[in-house]
Amino acid sequence: MAEYLRNPLCQVWAFLSAMTLASWWVSQGGFEFNVNVLVTVTVLLVSALKVHLVVRYFMEVNVAPRWLKRTMNAWLIVLLALLLGFYFFSL
Amino acid sequence: MTSTNSPAVNLAKPASATSGRVSGESSMWFFIIGDLFIFGAYFVSYMYYRGQDQQLFLEGQQHLDQWIGVVNTLVLLTSSLFVALAAEGARNGNRKTALRMLTIACALGVLFPVLKMIEWLPKLDAGLTPGESLFFMYYYLMTGLHLVHVILGLIILGFVFRELKTAKHPNIGFVETGAVYWHMVDLLWLLLFALFYLMR
Repeated sequence: MAEYLRNPLCQVWAFLSAMTLASWWVSQGGFEFNVNVLVTVTVLLVSALKVHLVVRYFMEVNVAPRWLKRTMNAWLIVLLALLLGFYFFSL
Repeated sequence: MTSTNSPAVNLAKPASATSGRVSGESSMWFFIIGDLFIFGAYFVSYMYYRGQDQQLFLEGQQHLDQWIGVVNTLVLLTSSLFVALAAEGARNGNRKTALRMLTIACALGVLFPVLKMIEWLPKLDAGLTPGESLFFMYYYLMTGLHLVHVILGLIILGFVFRELKTAKHPNIGFVETGAVYWHMVDLLWLLLFALFYLMR
């Protein structure tokens, strides 16, 4: 299972499927769309990317052992998911 | 005796879990990871309470100086770059370059608390204290905690400077340890900037 999760083909498929469901949800009026939502989602995604780049290149986690890479990636992914989750939950 | 028909799970390479190079001392990484989890909990609780009263948080946000937030972000990012270049210089045995880069990094680092004071003092004078609202409580608590990290980081960079300046054979591990701490300070600010200044 873990091997399939790491396979880029499966990751691309998961992204494409998630985007399909997300665009369908938006088109159905899944949440009241407004500029604030767009701003917040963009800001959080861009910030996560910035943090990822600092961790990877400035902190040199790109050459670090797997346990450190995984810990840092897990921290960022879980944090981003919780921040977006609480944001959307309160809309 | 190993079987050629071993299940897929045995094909994993356990050695790669520990291979690679940790920048700085491992003990510092445990501290950093702990700190990131603590700040992460604060970020999530901020988002939860923000969701309870979005209007209050949006109103509080109007009082923040966006330009100081942007300048401070660029200051810390640039300072981080110079610290990374200093570590690179030290690793390559170029002590003079490392010291020059570190001096610039520290000068930028000192600018951060100065700008923070320029931001905080007029607000406190205007009565926007931590007791004003939940937004300002979080704002002063989290940016204050971060400021403590900045000051501690500057002290650590001071020790790194002394190591590079005076040691016969500078301890590169120590230089890298100081550097990764400073980068953590930078990345925490990137998230604070997004949560307090930018999101709507």
